[in-house]
Amino acid sequence: MADLSKVGTEYPPIIWEVERGKIKEFAKAIGDPNPVYLDQDAAVGEGYKDIPAPATFLTVPMMWCDKMPAIINDLKINFMMVLHGEEEYEYYHQIYPGDVITGTPKVVKMEEKTSKSGAKMDMITMEVLYTNQKGEEVAKVRSLLVERK
Amino acid sequence: MAQEIYYEDVNVGDPMPELVKGPLQKLQHVQYAGASGDFNPLHTDDDFAKAVGMKDGVICHGMLIMGIVGQAITGWIPKKNLKKFGVRFAGMTKPGNTITVTGAVTDKRVADGDNIIVCEVIAKDENEDVKITGHFEASLPNK
Repeated sequence: MADLSKVGTEYPPIIWEVERGKIKEFAKAIGDPNPVYLDQDAAVGEGYKDIPAPATFLTVPMMWCDKMPAIINDLKINFMMVLHGEEEYEYYHQIYPGDVITGTPKVVKMEEKTSKSGAKMDMITMEVLYTNQKGEEVAKVRSLLVERK
Repeated sequence: MAQEIYYEDVNVGDPMPELVKGPLQKLQHVQYAGASGDFNPLHTDDDFAKAVGMKDGVICHGMLIMGIVGQAITGWIPKKNLKKFGVRFAGMTKPGNTITVTGAVTDKRVADGDNIIVCEVIAKDENEDVKITGHFEASLPNK
């Protein structure tokens, strides 16, 4: 059961170097054949500086940074009972190969809800605002985790 | 792929081009796990998935389905114009499902000098079961 007193907690930053191969690998795993994610010339031809990170790429630093287990543990969430309820991105700048992005995960909302069937759930909203090596804000990620009880 | 799309050419009610993907394969779960770093065995290990109550075994990563919705969106509207993209995960997707992504323009407005279009998107399987409902906003150039 989530510790609802943890709302407002900030966790150590995720620092992630964006690699060209990871962008391509991610696009290929989705099965997205759009050449802007795979081919630098195609991307430049469409007005990008290089191949841009795909729309959901920011799941990569979150999942690969190895910080989630500690966050889940600190929030006293039972990982086996967690569902991913919602995910939202706001985009401010493109993310390109070679960028080093930094984001601080924050717990912005925690509340208990009761479903129509009477089951209780804890709703945990996490936000990560990423900036790049130039200090530009590149994107904000908002994730809603639902812990069934 | 995505050609330049101008604000004047998009109207409320216009459909987004449909994207159909599938049947999804378990192999893609493994590929997506490696690419994304989400190694929850619920997506790759049938024995584990059954032990936690999934009678048919593994289920797809929700974020893979969101990625497929992202493919549908940025196959139409260039990634550089995308400002916001959010989804609610409405149902589980299983290997063998074929996902169809559709959408439509619900609003357009000029705000702070940006030409914003607002769209709804939905991903369903071959049985019309909804997997994702979502929305996105894009800023489009003038002609």
